[in-house]
Amino acid sequence: MRVINMFAEVDPEKCTACRTCERVCPTLSIKVGREKGAKKAVVDLSTCVGCGACSERCEFGAVSLRDLATPRVIRVDPNLVDRQMITDLCSKARLHPEQVLCFCTGTRAEEVAAAIIQGASSPEEVSREVGARTGCKVECFQPILRLLVAAGKDPKPVEGGWQWYGLTPTVWDIPESVVAKYSSRGFYFEEDRALFKKLLETKTEGGDNGVH
Amino acid sequence: MVSTRFNDPVKPLPPKPSRYGPLPESIEARSSDLGQMVSIRVQDLFPDFLASIYPSDAGVKVIREATERALERIDMSMIGPGDSVNILGSHHGFTILGGEPYAEMLKATKDAIVERTGTDDIRLRAGVGLRFRESDEYIQRFGLDEYFGGKAKGVAPIDEGIPIQTEIGTLYGIKRCYDADWIVHAHNSDVREIHFHRHVDRAVKPFGMSYARLETRSTYHHNLGPRGANFAARAIFNSDLVQKKWTFATFLKPTPAGVAGVDADNNLFSLDERLSIDNFRYYGKILTLLGRIDDCIAILDFQAPIPYVFSAGMIFANFSASSVDIFDLDYPLPGYTWYTESFYGRDEKPLISDVAPMNPAIKAIIINYAWGGYPSVFWAKMIPTIVVGESQADVFRRDPQNVEFMKHALVAEDLGTAVEMAIRITGTDKLIAFDGAPGALNVSESLASHLVSEAPKVDEEVDAELLPKWCRQRGITVAE
Repeated sequence: MRVINMFAEVDPEKCTACRTCERVCPTLSIKVGREKGAKKAVVDLSTCVGCGACSERCEFGAVSLRDLATPRVIRVDPNLVDRQMITDLCSKARLHPEQVLCFCTGTRAEEVAAAIIQGASSPEEVSREVGARTGCKVECFQPILRLLVAAGKDPKPVEGGWQWYGLTPTVWDIPESVVAKYSSRGFYFEEDRALFKKLLETKTEGGDNGVH
Repeated sequence: MVSTRFNDPVKPLPPKPSRYGPLPESIEARSSDLGQMVSIRVQDLFPDFLASIYPSDAGVKVIREATERALERIDMSMIGPGDSVNILGSHHGFTILGGEPYAEMLKATKDAIVERTGTDDIRLRAGVGLRFRESDEYIQRFGLDEYFGGKAKGVAPIDEGIPIQTEIGTLYGIKRCYDADWIVHAHNSDVREIHFHRHVDRAVKPFGMSYARLETRSTYHHNLGPRGANFAARAIFNSDLVQKKWTFATFLKPTPAGVAGVDADNNLFSLDERLSIDNFRYYGKILTLLGRIDDCIAILDFQAPIPYVFSAGMIFANFSASSVDIFDLDYPLPGYTWYTESFYGRDEKPLISDVAPMNPAIKAIIINYAWGGYPSVFWAKMIPTIVVGESQADVFRRDPQNVEFMKHALVAEDLGTAVEMAIRITGTDKLIAFDGAPGALNVSESLASHLVSEAPKVDEEVDAELLPKWCRQRGITVAE
């Protein structure tokens, strides 16, 4: 769930059409197109969540965040999606359904899973529907991609965009030779695997967990 | 009330203008202005601490001299005339003692390279955390763009990326960090996010964070586990891409008492071992001592986001995490990391029993001055939180990473009222300020007495038991 209380506004006088804003927008809500004959960045207010990526990276100070007159909320209710499907998908991605994935919005794995089951097929669509990846845009990315891949989706990075590049390894992928080589150097991979396993096997009050 | 037993509070740095914080003029009072506050010098608590070279009356020139001395023994022969060199730095260095010593170390490092190698194509690439223009603000404040001939840039994890092949698979770096013939790693040695990296490869960490794309940082915080996370950094550092461009590292050495000097090495792992032992000895003692506080009200009052405000060199996030010994790798989860936070269920309780609670000694938080730009709602949910003034509250309301923060926090009109309210609610009069005061802790007299009585026991325990254990867990040998 994400409360949206701001939106991006472009100052056409300062915009140089460099496309940085377009390349970093996690909801693909800003495009450089022609406006009154000149190339300028244009914001689609129907999908902009006011995350500020465009404003933060514009070198020309051409994009600002403005307060939204009436804040709105985006969310997908996991209770409206088959629980077993959510549990199975999280399990496949090795995430507990209640695990928090996005620290800025407090979005849990179950909500992202629900969005994917309802049809979201890319990180950008997930962001538009639940708001995850629209705060810092940095920390929650891999578990979202893990869930998409676990669901059999085949998301591709936006061509020419910098939104994301690819899936990266998890603790489960680390070769045993690497685990053995570095365990005496303070990298407790085996112990952390056991910790994750315990989490995945934990049933919550409703009997839900991430493992079947 | 003037204490006869302790020093007057140390005045913190004045608030700085930043797009991430409230206007400086909106900060009406500082925690050091409170009548019940005193200060304790860190070296009065732990007399064996290294003497500081900064701050001192000699000013920042001692940092330049220390940098030059440290670089005398460094091999720069791989860099030829006309070669391009990226000095890789981080926003974190600029938060130490106002940032001037770190900026001076960067300038002195550049000058040494020019003098020794004959090249002048030297760029500064300064990484950021989650405030993507923060380094640009520091670059401007310290005149670094001019010093680097227009070649100083803040780089962010959402900037253009570059894939890096590592022994555990593909990770991603920020392209601009690696777009030169050579790289120099210019960082600082404070323990900072020890709750995340657990002081495993501290000196290597920025390769997985400050110079890395969001994919790698997300790997660190979600994929590798609370004690394996920093392997992302080692994997990148060991990659062919980095090793082909690697030259040396220059590190500013802050301790809880001030800046102790500058260290440098061509071998990053040798440097890491040296600074690890120092950090266990100095930061280990301060953090262990802070962990002995039974109850307190924490007043946040510094030019950084909530986790990064600091007291005697320890950031607030470490204090919140210190319900267990963060340095001890036998504990899987400190009281605060993102792994800890992610393991809380819908009912806001831990999903598994291994999750340590956020430091239960912190009975309330007062936010007098702090920045946004770091997801911080977890603190407000776990600990009663009072924000001083509407300007500070608006920082959080307008921060995309904290839109719901104020849903869990109260607003007080002024600092005095906030303190009165917190004391009444919590029943403790022990106050600790995270205000960045150099070389000292600003605390209430009641807390000062407690810390002074605990310090000798902590001193002995760290030297005799904890430091050897922390080193052993990391394969570090301490010379007799």
